[in-house]
Amino acid sequence: MSSAGPLSSTGLLALAIEDVVAGYGGAPVLDGVSMQVKPASITAVLGANGAGKTTLLRTITGFVKPRRGSITAGGASLVRRSPDAIARAGVAHVPEGQGVITELTVEENLRLGALTRQGRASRATALADAYQRFPILGQRRGMAAAGLSGGERQILVIARALMAQPKVLLLDEPSLGLAPRIVAQIMDLIRQLRDETGLTVLLVEQNARSALSIADQGVVLNLGKVVAEAEASTLVTDVGLRKHYLGF
Amino acid sequence: MQEFLEFTLGGLAFGMIYAAIALSLVLIWRGTRILNYSQGGMAMFTTFVAYSVIQHTGNYWLGFTVALVSGLVLGAVLERTVIRPVENKPPMNAVIVTIGLLVLLEGVAGMIYGGQFKSFPPAFSVTGLKIGNTALGISANDLFTAGAVLTAALLLAALFRFTSVGLRLRASAFSASVAQLLGVRVGRMLTLGWALAGLIGALAGVLVTPQTFLYPNSMDAIFVLGFTAAVIGGLESPVGSVVGGLLLGLVTSYAGGYLGSSLVDLFGLAILILVLMVRPAGLFSPSATRQV
Repeated sequence: MSSAGPLSSTGLLALAIEDVVAGYGGAPVLDGVSMQVKPASITAVLGANGAGKTTLLRTITGFVKPRRGSITAGGASLVRRSPDAIARAGVAHVPEGQGVITELTVEENLRLGALTRQGRASRATALADAYQRFPILGQRRGMAAAGLSGGERQILVIARALMAQPKVLLLDEPSLGLAPRIVAQIMDLIRQLRDETGLTVLLVEQNARSALSIADQGVVLNLGKVVAEAEASTLVTDVGLRKHYLGF
Repeated sequence: MQEFLEFTLGGLAFGMIYAAIALSLVLIWRGTRILNYSQGGMAMFTTFVAYSVIQHTGNYWLGFTVALVSGLVLGAVLERTVIRPVENKPPMNAVIVTIGLLVLLEGVAGMIYGGQFKSFPPAFSVTGLKIGNTALGISANDLFTAGAVLTAALLLAALFRFTSVGLRLRASAFSASVAQLLGVRVGRMLTLGWALAGLIGALAGVLVTPQTFLYPNSMDAIFVLGFTAAVIGGLESPVGSVVGGLLLGLVTSYAGGYLGSSLVDLFGLAILILVLMVRPAGLFSPSATRQV
């Protein structure tokens, strides 16, 4: 059930991944992965440690070169482009854990996100928008990002990624290391972004229950292969799948 | 008291040279985690370029400008050609490449210009300034030297702090992969870092050479002390390199003045050992420990 999808033209998809094989030398970590992400939707990528979730994101953003297969965003191929070129093409990646540049201030982190935008005015608008949506960042704007709490850092990296007005946002384990209350806030934020700004999100999570609570689609990876791909509501009710791969 | 004033002002003036070398090393270290052992050689080479221009045109300022521009270009070209392949490789690779570059630059300079000492003109008069009858121990040229390095340091600080290019440079230095994820062309930033370092090094070269003569090894001793200043300052911090340079200038000036000039290098090393014992990461390092 991996490759056949309802949309035949990849141009209508925010992100299309076809039969991708990738890894770090030796046995491939991704072994023929395909998935399709519709615009203005949240797709949760689930699976245990070592399933290949992070490698999938790193392959999309060009840090890992696929040995085979195609990756397109809005119809444009991302394969064999450098990570900075892929970022400029509108794919924002919020990496797991250490995405904040702690030596820079909150505002500098945000400004860094807007560098791909043309024009001083448009960058200033992006900054004002970010402070309006995330007042906590406005309060901390001059502070070194090292002084932020874990939840605030996660908000900062998401806000920074949004500064570029990306077509697709890749989020790697945004719940990692955060208290359940903060995780709920972050998930709420992601849902709001989809609903209000039409953002397309590929959400990688070990916390399957939280991710499926906001996702439209779910893809389950196991040992580098897609073992299930369905509506999020369907995945939640599949007891066997939950027990085997999702751990809840 | 008179002597003390002379040694202090003289030490500060020379300290600015160390600061400039230290600054160029810090620029490269922050961006690429490479210690550029060829920095002194690059400065010597660009000073020879200035020497040729001054010889042919008789115009000091033209030579001065050409030296700075060739430092900029030399830094960029070296990064693109020989340094790029050793970035993100084991540190020893870069050590060997930059030492090799030093030998190469000194060899080529010897082939073109020969090994004899050449005198290099100062920008301004080197006669000691006086207030009334009190000799200050510094000349108009020393004031120019200090002013030029200070201006360069302030311009660099402003570039880093207030411009978009500066933000890209810092982001690339602190976290290359995150910078890349945000669309920064990190490779270009590394080239720019080397170019700026080449420029500052070239400045140090033309400023110090009137006092040392010009020959293929003329920057070696200055480089060692500039390197010491950078380590004292913590290798990470531009402010630290200026403070480290001035501190070293003062200590070596007092040592040379009160105890004899043969002790200058000894005291330079002594202060390095002292700083490394008390604060192994340098005076201005953000973190207390670092793995080198």
